[in-house]
Amino acid sequence: MLLEVRGLGAGYLGEKVVSDIDFEVSPGEAVAIVGSNGAGKSTLLRAIAGLLRPMEGRVRLEGRDLTRRPAHRIARAGIAYVPAERHLFPAMTVKTNLALGAYPRRPDRSALELVYGLFPRLEERQRQRAGTLSGGEQQMLAVGRALMSRPKVLMLDEPTTGLAPKLARAAFRALEGLKATGLTLLIAEQQVPLALSVADRGYVLENGRIRLEGSPEELEANPEVRRAYLGVA
Amino acid sequence: MGGSAVSAAPGPRPRGPRLARLLTRALLPIAVAAAILVVLPPLWFGDSPYTTGLAVEALVFGCYAVGFNLIFGSTNQLFLCVGALAGVGGYSTAILSDKASLPLAAGVALGTVSAAIVGGLLAWIAVRRSLNVIFTGIVTLVFSLAFTNFIIGQRDLTGADTGYVLQGAATDLADDRVGGYYLFVVVLVVLLIVFRALQLSHVGWAFRALRDDEVAAELAGVDVARYRIYAAVVGSAMIGLTGGLYAYSLGFISPVTYGFAQVDVQVLIIVAFGGMGTLLGPVIGAAAFGFLDRALTDSGQLREAYYGAFVIAIFLFLRRGVVPAAVGLFDRLASLRRGAQRVDGAPGRAER
Amino acid sequence: MKAVILDGIVLGLGFGLLGVGLTLVYGLGGVLNLAYGEIAVFGAIVVSQVMDRGAPTLVAAGVGMLAAAALSVLLDLTLMRPVYRQTGEERTLLGLLLTLGVAFVIVGLLNWKYPTGALYIFVGGDPISIAGVPMAAGSVWASVITLGVAGVLLVFFGLTTFGRGVRSVIQDETGARLVGISPSLVRTLIFALSGGLAGLVAVTRSMSAPLTVTAGFDLTTFALIVAVVGGLGSVAGAFLAGVLLGIVDNVSAHYIGEYITAIVLLAAAAITILVRPRGLLGR
Repeated sequence: MLLEVRGLGAGYLGEKVVSDIDFEVSPGEAVAIVGSNGAGKSTLLRAIAGLLRPMEGRVRLEGRDLTRRPAHRIARAGIAYVPAERHLFPAMTVKTNLALGAYPRRPDRSALELVYGLFPRLEERQRQRAGTLSGGEQQMLAVGRALMSRPKVLMLDEPTTGLAPKLARAAFRALEGLKATGLTLLIAEQQVPLALSVADRGYVLENGRIRLEGSPEELEANPEVRRAYLGVA
Repeated sequence: MGGSAVSAAPGPRPRGPRLARLLTRALLPIAVAAAILVVLPPLWFGDSPYTTGLAVEALVFGCYAVGFNLIFGSTNQLFLCVGALAGVGGYSTAILSDKASLPLAAGVALGTVSAAIVGGLLAWIAVRRSLNVIFTGIVTLVFSLAFTNFIIGQRDLTGADTGYVLQGAATDLADDRVGGYYLFVVVLVVLLIVFRALQLSHVGWAFRALRDDEVAAELAGVDVARYRIYAAVVGSAMIGLTGGLYAYSLGFISPVTYGFAQVDVQVLIIVAFGGMGTLLGPVIGAAAFGFLDRALTDSGQLREAYYGAFVIAIFLFLRRGVVPAAVGLFDRLASLRRGAQRVDGAPGRAER
Repeated sequence: MKAVILDGIVLGLGFGLLGVGLTLVYGLGGVLNLAYGEIAVFGAIVVSQVMDRGAPTLVAAGVGMLAAAALSVLLDLTLMRPVYRQTGEERTLLGLLLTLGVAFVIVGLLNWKYPTGALYIFVGGDPISIAGVPMAAGSVWASVITLGVAGVLLVFFGLTTFGRGVRSVIQDETGARLVGISPSLVRTLIFALSGGLAGLVAVTRSMSAPLTVTAGFDLTTFALIVAVVGGLGSVAGAFLAGVLLGIVDNVSAHYIGEYITAIVLLAAAAITILVRPRGLLGR
């Protein structure tokens, strides 16, 4: 068990947005968290990443308790988080953004090659300022930067935000490629079919609680899921 | 007390007894404050011209503070040029009435108008260039410093560092400290009435909306730009008026009378301490400032250090100001009493 | 004319150094440290006190810089904590007001304890000729030191890993946290650096003319103007703006007059904010 979340509750200004969150992720697994807007997916990931202080519960990475630790410590411990807003360094080049991903170490040649191999477009634009990239390229850069630290777990929040359908599909194919290298993935996504296409297991989040869990096939077959998220009567 | 007022948009003009009640409610706090201020001098100052002088200074700063309260407290424009605006009023009053031999009233009126124009201009620039709070602060600070340098540079006209002695109608007022005290009590009351009138009108409603959430206010139809400029013009007029009258009261002005370090910092403390955007905040703040000044008279050089410590303490602990804190306390006490009087047998608990 | 311009460059380098400390702290945390000039003066007083007790100049300067750095760190660890807990405009406003209070406390205490305090470092020697213009030895040395420090800073922020880390916090604080950088640690270290720089400015300035206890407010104003014109958060911008403004200052003072010069410099800051708010080299 790589990542373990027990009884996690978190929210803003005293109001709990997610509660009683229990799940775990094993090494090499890809886990999807699906739900509609406002279900609490971002809140959950931010709480695990340390950008938001959990109100209750525990987060453990390889048995080590990371709950309530500052975000930069969690990042260094091996959980790399790619938020929907990306938070790139706009005035710095693609290359520098990637280099910073490896902080505090100097950028690793092989890590850089991995990222460029996955996203050749980034190599083409390596001297370009991050702020001038297109939406899709920024998303690639955000993921690439997270990969530079050779994380144990890669968390992505709505990776298809702002991407045209073709790019969104390409993004998930890239994620499949990452999974194939043995990387552990935790993906929050509104677009259920895409999310389930790459996941080994999925959780359905509704109103801040886990409603359902199961394999992609089980979830896709579930009538509630079909009605609410797949638009099938 | 001095806090928020009727929230609904103003309806048709009330008549008779309703009008009387409305006016009472609106003006009562001011009347109480005025009464205290009028009664105070014989009880407290005795005949000491020094203490009276301090009291006049406190009143003057109170007047500055009402104007600043309108500009910063009500519309969030950090105008770090209160001293300079007062200086525009003061120097133009002094120079114009002396050089052009104008009567007191005309000189002061011109000073007020000049300050209002300058303030309005600054606000217009800030609005046109969409300056945020910090940049507005820096630009107005620059104006403050430039103004001081300008005054010093124009030796012939203004007497520069050595100062300017007012001739003519001035001298009577300058010698009469107590007269000066009552003059500024009247000015303060007038300014408070103007502030209160704005607070209770649609303008005040717009101010509250824009302070709360600028974007929401804009979307709700509040022309933020127009109200900001409006507040700046009126506030600057208040400051200029006070600056002009103060020049007469002192009989002698110099760049130090209207300098940034001498005026703006104190006004900031006064408004912050009293409560930004509240009616009586500036009065309470100015009173506290007057007492503080008196207490620090013998501290010599350490005065500045105490000021600084005071500023730090206020902004760390009393950020909302005395008036809001007092109102909050009052509310809580009232609700505690309400809770204790519940008849259904449940133990009284604050209903907040 | 050449002499005036060279003098201006010398003056400008000092301005730039002044601006760097202020611009960094603002870039990192949105805090406009209005106590900056007073921290520099504090450093100067420490240096002069240490020198009075017989220590060699170099040692005294080092002690002074360390003292200023320590004072800055103290400020960061105490009063800045509640400031950083705010966000956006609230944070900038509170920071501005609290540092204003601190400025008054420092100048009040210094004025009280050392009313005639001043620092003057006399650098002996004949005037040195630069590009055919004889310049006072003190000014030349001050410029050399400033240039050296400028170079070190530019290399540090441009090329080292930690320097890049600092720049990343300036550009996107959350992004920095996500890559494992602690913004509060960076801020404390940079506060210390800015304090040390303030002390250094006090020392280099006093090599040309005595630096008195009352100089603090002017120093803060200069630093503010340079930082704004250069672009808040940009080290290179501060130096560029400093040199340009130094030349303008000296030319104007030479040919026009002292008070107009002050207005010209102030106007430069205002015009920058109105026309190009991000400054010369800001983002």
